[in-house]
Amino acid sequence: MNRSVIWMIVSGLLNVGLVLLIAPLCQGVLRKVTARIQSRQGPPLLQPYFDLLKLLGKEDIESGEAPVMQRFAVYLSLATLLTVACLVPMGFAAPMNSAGDVILLIYLLTLCGICTLLVGLAAGSTYSLLGVSREMMSMIALEPLFAIAIVVGAVHTQSFRLDSVLNGSVYVAGGFPWSGLLMLGVMLLSFQAFVQRVPFDISEAETELMEGPLSEYSGPKLALLKYAQMAKLIVYSALFVALFAPWGSGFVFPLGWLLFWAKVLVLVLLVTVVAATHARYRIDQAIRYFSTLMGVGLIALVLASYGH
Amino acid sequence: MIAREMFEEFKARFGPLIQRADLPSDRRLFVFVDRSAVKYVCQHIFRELDARYVASIGADDRPFSGKFLVAHNFAFDHDHLLCSVLSYLPPDDPKIDSISDMVPAASWAEREMRDLIGIEPVGHRYLKRLVLPDGWPDGMHPLRKDVSWNQVPDQYDDQREFKFDEPPEGCTVVPFGPFHPTLDEPAHFRLYVEGEMVRGCEYRGFMVHRGIEKLAESVMSYNDIPMLAERICGICGCVHNVAYVQAVEEAAGLKPPLRAEYIRTIMLELERLHSHLLWVGLACHIVGFDTLFMQSFRIREPIMWIAEKISGNRKTYALCVVGGVRWDITHEVKAELRYALDKLESEWSAVVAAVSKDKNIQKRTRGIGVADKVLVKSAGLLGPVARAAGVDIDCRRDHPYAAYDRVDFNVITEQGGDVWARLLVRMKEVFESIKIIRHCLDKMEDGPRQLQITDELPVGRMGLSSVEAPRGESHHFVITGENNRPRRWRVRAPTYQNLQAVPAMIKDQQIADMTISLGSIDPCFSCTDRLETIDLHSGAVKVWSQEELLKLTRAKKA
Repeated sequence: MNRSVIWMIVSGLLNVGLVLLIAPLCQGVLRKVTARIQSRQGPPLLQPYFDLLKLLGKEDIESGEAPVMQRFAVYLSLATLLTVACLVPMGFAAPMNSAGDVILLIYLLTLCGICTLLVGLAAGSTYSLLGVSREMMSMIALEPLFAIAIVVGAVHTQSFRLDSVLNGSVYVAGGFPWSGLLMLGVMLLSFQAFVQRVPFDISEAETELMEGPLSEYSGPKLALLKYAQMAKLIVYSALFVALFAPWGSGFVFPLGWLLFWAKVLVLVLLVTVVAATHARYRIDQAIRYFSTLMGVGLIALVLASYGH
Repeated sequence: MIAREMFEEFKARFGPLIQRADLPSDRRLFVFVDRSAVKYVCQHIFRELDARYVASIGADDRPFSGKFLVAHNFAFDHDHLLCSVLSYLPPDDPKIDSISDMVPAASWAEREMRDLIGIEPVGHRYLKRLVLPDGWPDGMHPLRKDVSWNQVPDQYDDQREFKFDEPPEGCTVVPFGPFHPTLDEPAHFRLYVEGEMVRGCEYRGFMVHRGIEKLAESVMSYNDIPMLAERICGICGCVHNVAYVQAVEEAAGLKPPLRAEYIRTIMLELERLHSHLLWVGLACHIVGFDTLFMQSFRIREPIMWIAEKISGNRKTYALCVVGGVRWDITHEVKAELRYALDKLESEWSAVVAAVSKDKNIQKRTRGIGVADKVLVKSAGLLGPVARAAGVDIDCRRDHPYAAYDRVDFNVITEQGGDVWARLLVRMKEVFESIKIIRHCLDKMEDGPRQLQITDELPVGRMGLSSVEAPRGESHHFVITGENNRPRRWRVRAPTYQNLQAVPAMIKDQQIADMTISLGSIDPCFSCTDRLETIDLHSGAVKVWSQEELLKLTRAKKA
């Protein structure tokens, strides 16, 4: 085994470890800041770690329509996200650069959404199925947006390679092209939906669907699903930073690395503030919103293909 | 029109079918009617005289007059008149013509009468069991006087299942409740859903009966009952407390001291304040806006502290006894209350400004859960739900009680009849309540808090009392009785009427709007479910066995 393969595996695992380590902390920050906005004390920063540990220690109840499927769906949700984490640069170059290209990335991102569907379908209760149908509707309108952003980057760099696309590629082609700026706007406006927070937590909507797809899950399975949700926030933030805000990634080790996590933290704070100041959209309102963004995204794609 | 003129009018129109009348004051009319004419008299009152339906009451009067008694209560809001149409039924044939064809709002009350007293509303189109639990034997009517309050029916059958209606073709059944994060209390809606659209629903509630009315009529005394009455509701308890006491005072012809009336008014308005603040918070929570939920609760807290300072409790103030109140508002508390009100006013202004400008909330509430004037009239909708539809009713002004005839306030109305309009009405009413409390504090004079009552209360007299709860009119009906307790006490909470219109309000809407539509009437299930003798041994636990619950929550297709 040569040295570069070992390095690839080690750095991939490093990313996975970092995501697993930092995701609950970001959730803690999110909860604390939310509490402050709401004039509350809020839980300790480390509370999400304790929550996960507690849930992991509970009895694993096998229930629902298809227990094996449920377990599989739960593992798959977290595993997919962690695989994505191996492909995304997090303060260093993308670790598994030569293991795949951006097409793989787009597939994996879609798989994340499909996992939520699987989770709900396997549970099979009325409320999870309602959640699944909502999730499905919003997926169809939402998922293409990230794909468009990546493709715009790929068009600019004339490459599908991870390290070239996930490096601010939407801007290449001479400064700030229209397509890149348009996509930046689109992604900022839809970011909340990708990480499934208010106002786009429609498929879970506690007060309407009792957590939708999650409603039948408890104990360790719920812990993994919650973990996956927290990881999603980090992984998507990392993707966003890689695509749209790569500046400073070339700095020497601790500086560039710290800068990256600082940018992720800014995104988490942004998500928190938006979530704390909005009411939930209804599914039809959300779809209309996404389709407008999709229209803008397509315009960006056309502009990009003409070199703008 | 005052009571006497109304009575003359009835006599001229229906002749000998009107048997007699009791006119305790210009604002009350008890008219006794032959049972064959009840339907027509009610039709005349409801349609031609355009009165508002209030409640129907059944009573087992056999130990006293040898007959059953039925009363249909109506309100003439413009004339400040409450009118009760009463009729005696023979003990061997307790049947009466249903009025629910003309007055749809009476549908539940008639079903309740059938369940509990065994008075058959002839011609009622939907005579399904409403109140009694599924396993309760047919033919046993717990509110009859020959059934004791603690009797457990031998033939109770916990295997018997409630038969739900067939859902319409092409619809899936989505069970909503009995336990759902937005329902603070158990109630079950069986939604018929087509895709995301709700096409209809069936309601099965009355799961938290506590047998309050039966208990009051059989074991408690006049001055115990106010403490029981306020436990009907966890939010608007003081309303029931005051309403009951006023009904008894009216029946017995007692007039509480002025200071007591002011204190009652202040406590009722404090209750409205904390209830409305709670509701606005909950509405925001339902549409996923938790920040405003938290802020509303923070703003609400000082009101709870003041209430605790006055009565010793944040809730359940134990305020009234017949003929007065138990707590005083001292000069020290007065100053604190004024300060709390000032603070509340400025903080609430900020919230109102934020909500009024929030496009997001408007998107989720405009045009949702619409109850128009027609529905308000036919279903007898009350309080902010009616006022949001532009129907200008408010018992505080129309049927003044306590000190409301001595203070200035506006009755807030809005047009539109949707959830947004209800939100606006409630937000603005907070300012009116603040105004009322300030007026009361200014005008209140020193004096006694309680009447000295030395004689027994008279027997067999009737009293009505309508109190404007935060959710609408709470109506209490009392017939005084022997042994220092009422013969019959009937409570009609506002949710009892408002809930009946929910199926119409959520029809052809998205399922996502269901919770906010239901929330917008500020439902209070324990108020609605207040009465009935469900014995603890055979009550809710047995009815909803775990198996049934699992089946309900997991039922997919009908």
